[in-house]
Amino acid sequence: MTTMTETQTSPLPPRARSTAGTRGVTFVGVLRSEWIKLWSLMSTRILLLLTLVAIVGVGALAVLIRYSFLEQMVNTAKEQGQTMTPEMLEQSFPPGSGFELYNLPNAGLQIGILVLGSLAVLFISSEYATGMIRSTMNAVPRRTPAFVAKAIILAVISYVITTVAAAATFLIAMPVFQGLGFDLDWSTDGVMYSIFTGGLYVAGVALIGLSLGTLLRNSAGGITVLVGMFFVLSIAASFMTFIPGDFWKYVPQYIPSEAGGRFLSIGHTDGIIDPWHGGLIFLGYVLLFLIPAMIVLKKRDV
Amino acid sequence: MIEAKGLTKVYGSKTAVDGVSFTVRAGQVTGFLGPNGAGKSTTMRMIMGLDRPTSGTVTVNGLPYAAHKAPLHEVGALLDAKAVHTSRSAYNHLRAMAATHNIPTARVHEVIEMTGLDAVAKKKAGGFSLGMGQRLGIAAALLGDPQTLILDEPVNGLDPEGVLWVRNLVRYLSNQGKTVFLSSHLMSEMAQTADHLIVIGRGRIIADATMQEVIAGTRQVRTLVRTSAATQLSGLLAGNGVTVDQNEPETLEVTGMDSRQIAQVALDNSVLVYELTPQLSSLEDAYFDLTKDEVEYHSHLTGGPAGAFAPAGAPAAAGK
Repeated sequence: MTTMTETQTSPLPPRARSTAGTRGVTFVGVLRSEWIKLWSLMSTRILLLLTLVAIVGVGALAVLIRYSFLEQMVNTAKEQGQTMTPEMLEQSFPPGSGFELYNLPNAGLQIGILVLGSLAVLFISSEYATGMIRSTMNAVPRRTPAFVAKAIILAVISYVITTVAAAATFLIAMPVFQGLGFDLDWSTDGVMYSIFTGGLYVAGVALIGLSLGTLLRNSAGGITVLVGMFFVLSIAASFMTFIPGDFWKYVPQYIPSEAGGRFLSIGHTDGIIDPWHGGLIFLGYVLLFLIPAMIVLKKRDV
Repeated sequence: MIEAKGLTKVYGSKTAVDGVSFTVRAGQVTGFLGPNGAGKSTTMRMIMGLDRPTSGTVTVNGLPYAAHKAPLHEVGALLDAKAVHTSRSAYNHLRAMAATHNIPTARVHEVIEMTGLDAVAKKKAGGFSLGMGQRLGIAAALLGDPQTLILDEPVNGLDPEGVLWVRNLVRYLSNQGKTVFLSSHLMSEMAQTADHLIVIGRGRIIADATMQEVIAGTRQVRTLVRTSAATQLSGLLAGNGVTVDQNEPETLEVTGMDSRQIAQVALDNSVLVYELTPQLSSLEDAYFDLTKDEVEYHSHLTGGPAGAFAPAGAPAAAGK
């Protein structure tokens, strides 16, 4: 092992031909580099594990709350000498209310949006904060491949974690609701659909997060805007519907969180956009942030 | 080889680099010398494609840095030692950089060994001392085993051992026939390492020549004279293109006249001269001559009265 004192007099040991390789930059290489970057931070590894646990945990909690609510309805009915059938219970959450049973896998989705979205902001804003971005741009001076690699990795990780968590949430929810007499399993209409689209939605949020981190170059700013978009705006939108006039009743469904949320449901409901419309609108939002971020990243001094 | 043509960078209303053209020749150590804020770092950042020139072009081995298929194999750069994620280990930092170019992990271990980072490679880079950070930056620059190295202020903030290490490294690299472009505001460092000098001041190139030319070509002959009749001799010598400075009693610094002429004047007027020393120009002198009008931030302390400096103990005493 070379010690400090030895290197002082002889900085570099003699060596034969270069061992540095000659293949140059490849996209797979850049992808691997970003993968190493993500997993070589202890904080990321812990965060991703906790996210998985948190999505399932919050999902299970939501399942429990709904279960006790339904159970109470059943008990109240019993005291009045009536029997609640699952069909009657189901009428307490009509289609379009967001409480359909097939949506149970995504009960903890909001946590995924918050944490994975923030992680995506941090994935690039922390590089600006520490100066790492200059090393990144040194190795990949064309810049765009590094951004695309980050985007792919974030999208895939967000998708996988959300999908696994959604399946796990449903595994918990299924027996609970079956116990209440509901006909609910993997083949119930919309269950598989909501499991697979939930991941797409969160992946989209992560891409918006990455774009915000790139545009603002600031962790706190990026996360604040993201939370504003997906949490504050949806609360504001629910107040918007109280404004007199039909126009304001139709506006909220076009905001990112509502359009994205609509994408996770199935079936047509009068007066609101169809799920695939919601999906397309949300995709539009993703591109609205992603494309300017890519352009700015390419042009701006680092 | 690095070639800059009319390279200009404007930040808002401030021109950091102003139409700079120069060539860094292959196989030699070129020093890039200038006061703080002269535009050295900005120029280097433009070479590496981090900053976009406002106008002009700069190429490395014939192509803009970003246009190379394997940039890390062309140029390795240490621009600032803190271009590292503070929570990542040095080893993983280098591994991530190496991955982009498919550089084998064996090479990562090699540069870690070369820069003497073995003991701390698995530790978080955020906890590194300035010297360790500098070594990590150099390890990253060497990763692709490039023919050209750009080092911005590599000895800045290093302890004497670190300075010596960087100096030996630059010598080793130049012995290997590598092109080294090295910036510094420390002239002593340049005098020891560079073959060729590019001096920059306020964004403009003010000298581009070999070390010897820079030292020899700028300063007029200056002679130190010690005499018992300083005021009298000063009056006899001054004027007609000759300037005389007196900084100490019985000591004059004469410019514009050689020592033989001074001795003759002294002899003719029967003035006792007990020392007559021609001052050899150093890089330092040459540098100050070149940059005296170009320094961005002049210090106003040098001309102040000695009494302006309070004794070290005074503030503490006043606080009681």
